Amino acid sequence: MNFQLPEIHISLMLPELFLFIWALLIITFDVVTKRKNEHTVGYLALLGLLIDGAILSVTGYGSGFGNMFFNDPMALFFKVIFLGSAFMAIASSFGLMHQKIVNHRGEFYALILFSTVGMMFLSSSDELLSLYIGLELTTIPLFVLAAFFKDDRLSVEAGMKYFVIGAFSSALMLYGISFLYGLSGTTDLVQMKINLAITHLTFKDIGVILSLAVLLILGGIGFKLALPPFHQWTPDVYEGAPTPVAAFLSVGSKAAGLVAFAKIFINGLYAFYGAEMAPNDWGRLVGVGAILAMIIGNVVAIRQTNIKRMLGYSSIAQVGYIMIGMVSMNEFGLTSVGFYMFTYMFANMGAFAVVAFFEDKSGSCQISSYRGLSKTSPFLATSLTMFLLSLAGIPPLAGFVAKYAVFAAAINMATSGVAYHWIFWLVGIGLLTSVFALFYYVNPVKQMFFSKEDSPYKISLSAPAFTVVLIGLIGIVLFGLYPDPILQFASQISASFGFLPH
Amino acid sequence: MTSPQVGIVFWIIAFVMLISAFMVVSLKNIFHSALFLILCLFSVAGIYVLLQAEFLAAAQVLIYVGAVAVLMLFAIMLTNNLASKKIRQANRNVLVGFFVSVIFCFITLVLLVKTYVSVWGKLKPQAVLPAQNVLVFGKYLMTKFMLPFEVVSVLLLAALIGAIVLARKERS
Amino acid sequence: MNVTPFVLLELQPVFIWLYQLLEKIGLSGSWLTVASYTGLSLFLFGLLSVVALFLVWWERKISGHIQQRYGPMRNGWHGWYQTIMDGMKLLLKEDIKVVTRDKPVFFWAPIIAFVAAFVAYVVIPFGKGLIVADLNIGILYILAVTTFTVISLFMAGWGSHNKYALLGGMRSAAQVVSYEVPMVVSILTVIVFTGSLSMVDIVNSQSGIFFNWFIFRLPFGPIAFLTYITAATAEANRTPFDIPEAEQELVAGYNVEYSGMKFAMFFLAEFINMFTVAAIATTLFLGGWHGAILPSWLWFLIKTLSIVLLLMLFRWTYPRLRVDQLMEFAWKFLVPLTFANLILASWMKYARWYW
Repeated sequence: MNFQLPEIHISLMLPELFLFIWALLIITFDVVTKRKNEHTVGYLALLGLLIDGAILSVTGYGSGFGNMFFNDPMALFFKVIFLGSAFMAIASSFGLMHQKIVNHRGEFYALILFSTVGMMFLSSSDELLSLYIGLELTTIPLFVLAAFFKDDRLSVEAGMKYFVIGAFSSALMLYGISFLYGLSGTTDLVQMKINLAITHLTFKDIGVILSLAVLLILGGIGFKLALPPFHQWTPDVYEGAPTPVAAFLSVGSKAAGLVAFAKIFINGLYAFYGAEMAPNDWGRLVGVGAILAMIIGNVVAIRQTNIKRMLGYSSIAQVGYIMIGMVSMNEFGLTSVGFYMFTYMFANMGAFAVVAFFEDKSGSCQISSYRGLSKTSPFLATSLTMFLLSLAGIPPLAGFVAKYAVFAAAINMATSGVAYHWIFWLVGIGLLTSVFALFYYVNPVKQMFFSKEDSPYKISLSAPAFTVVLIGLIGIVLFGLYPDPILQFASQISASFGFLPH
Repeated sequence: MTSPQVGIVFWIIAFVMLISAFMVVSLKNIFHSALFLILCLFSVAGIYVLLQAEFLAAAQVLIYVGAVAVLMLFAIMLTNNLASKKIRQANRNVLVGFFVSVIFCFITLVLLVKTYVSVWGKLKPQAVLPAQNVLVFGKYLMTKFMLPFEVVSVLLLAALIGAIVLARKERS
Repeated sequence: MNVTPFVLLELQPVFIWLYQLLEKIGLSGSWLTVASYTGLSLFLFGLLSVVALFLVWWERKISGHIQQRYGPMRNGWHGWYQTIMDGMKLLLKEDIKVVTRDKPVFFWAPIIAFVAAFVAYVVIPFGKGLIVADLNIGILYILAVTTFTVISLFMAGWGSHNKYALLGGMRSAAQVVSYEVPMVVSILTVIVFTGSLSMVDIVNSQSGIFFNWFIFRLPFGPIAFLTYITAATAEANRTPFDIPEAEQELVAGYNVEYSGMKFAMFFLAEFINMFTVAAIATTLFLGGWHGAILPSWLWFLIKTLSIVLLLMLFRWTYPRLRVDQLMEFAWKFLVPLTFANLILASWMKYARWYW
């Protein structure tokens, strides 16, 4: 047994370290200044995220702590998404600080930062143990954030539901991981790929126990991703949680789940994708989940009257589209997943931000209360329209390019062999449900623009709020018209998985 | 070390564990449930001892019995009206839940037994001398698994802050 | 080795002789193991019961003398068998049971308390070679099994269906959970230096002259010892940390409804617990059984009983702390202090100031 301390390469994990220390500083600052400041902590958190982005941009690739910490293109790409979504979530929470959160502002921001640290750590781990710990560090602060309004029954219910579901799914996943560890004798994903293949060749029968492990882990991650049939908690939690937190849940936490999924299934269980080893073919399982997601998400969203619930169901549907890219196991598939997530961040965070500002002013999340908003706050109404249209995938916005990339990748994969023809089903249902999706995405737009009376609310945006909306708008317009740089960046993701067919 | 005595002890412990686990989820008195939970966790520690993972066993007792269960008992006593009430542990979905768990248990058992029959004796665990068990554990924590070990402390800190935020009484 | 008549008093050869005797009469294999361990358990049980009886008498004498009176004087020389008579009285007394009690909980609480008090002695080295089992998790084992004491207090408090008992149980839980932290961290300070959790290794690392005792490793040794003793006093529920059974507030705390033999079991368990924490302190900080001239087991007893004396002096000289003071003392003073001490010790070990 080798007990040498592996080379640490601390410079690789500077972003995580910095963000962690910054979160501690924020709490300390909040306590030292007797919690009198209203917005200073928020600005501090934003500043920290900006500095962290700068640090991230100079962080290179490589591995530290043995292989425990591994910076590959996918990690860096997704870290940008995590930081971006945290930035937008924090910037859209200033209104809450004014009204609802009086006592624990520092903790609110620090918990978001802690969760971000967890996501970043998760995306850099190539090892089941650290991956699991990263996932826990991601979700545990989110339990608290979801229940942050202690006097609000809905918020407490959201926190409770998310906690119970989260704990349960973690247990499922850990159980699955323990089977994987038992079968392969290692927690290192790259080594696991090799060991599993060897063991599988020697003992055909471990295949069945492997399917159990796959099912359990899929269940665990499915809860985090809100992939049906593990999606039931999503609308309730989104409805009850503070709106910026719901936004962060729908983007940051989802991206973290995606990374965990890609790490475990593509890195560790790649050999069991495809038709040769039928009982362990996780690709088709995920495919079924994606189909369910698209149907359930899009159809149920139509009947929602609460915009947060609607966005919750919409996010379930979006996961379905993303998973199409994920099961298209080629270069384009992962590129499209990365790109989709990137544009989804702008559109969804933007939409939630507008909902948050409207809620701060009016106290209502009903779609009907958006009536006539275009006459009193034309900028906000237009922005929300843009965000929703991007989510629906209308050209020339970024959402369209993302959907196109996903479907293109899927068709590319499906045509590559008879064994992959089932992916055509995914594409077909994806296209069909995209049409359904227009119904509910356009509903708020109809309320805002095509109403005779004026809205009673006139919403003036503060500086950070304006920034969020602007970032979102620039993101969806710019990357819709000129997606090349991001696609380039995202196409490096598959370099993390060098074995993928090109 | 699979002598018949160890087998007998294993079956006794397993029996106690199963019975107490069933009691935890079926008793109407929540305090009794908590006590049976302690017994169940203690039996798990017994299994660890049989597997010669003494450190794990001690840690199990120290953490689960000494800390988690005590806090649980504490919470039960502090909660108003929870203590003396008879509480039904099941809700309307008990039948569905029962079938789901039975099916899951059945699948797991079948798969495990199937694998066990074909693979038994061929896959060997890595043996660590019992006397070195703690040593190896400690050294791994400080070398190979150092990073997760440190990140766990961040996780605990975050959980601690979160718990305080949720539990604290607000001054208005 | 000192060649003195006292060496003949070492107990280890006696046990070896007994073991060989068992072999001679035809026992072998697992039966021999079972027989020898049963014998050892019975021996320990007897010994500890006697020690506990003695400690009760001692406590009463000390409290008496501190309060300008004699304490028990009637039975024997200065009342030396007073406790035995008391014990017989308790045995013969009616076992009063509250009607509203929680039957199984009420019944099992004293038994668990009694067992939890005894099992720790498996790994305590009473003398040279005098240890039941040298587990490699030694001290951790003790910390683990003694947690059952808290559970028993809880059960007693709950099962009695009495508000004073319940309050006592709750207080004890809060107290024990809080003071477990500084206690474990103080012990960790020792572990940093021995590099082993085994009690035998810990004792061996303090061999030689008495300056090798851990308490003399300046500056952290004495601090760790004091914090350990403080936390251990609280763990054993003794004054100044005896709020679980504060007589003036809670009548008798968690054991208020117990009588007869069940009460005696709680009572004995309490004194054995005190002896346990003293024995751990001896092993960890005072060099265990190491000492010149006298036989090892005698040294162990002398050191342990001195610490017990210290604990008794604490009890009869200090006033009781209030609940909030108790908690503040643990979390705001002891915990930071022990952690600072641990960091200091680790750093010194790392910089090779000590070996």
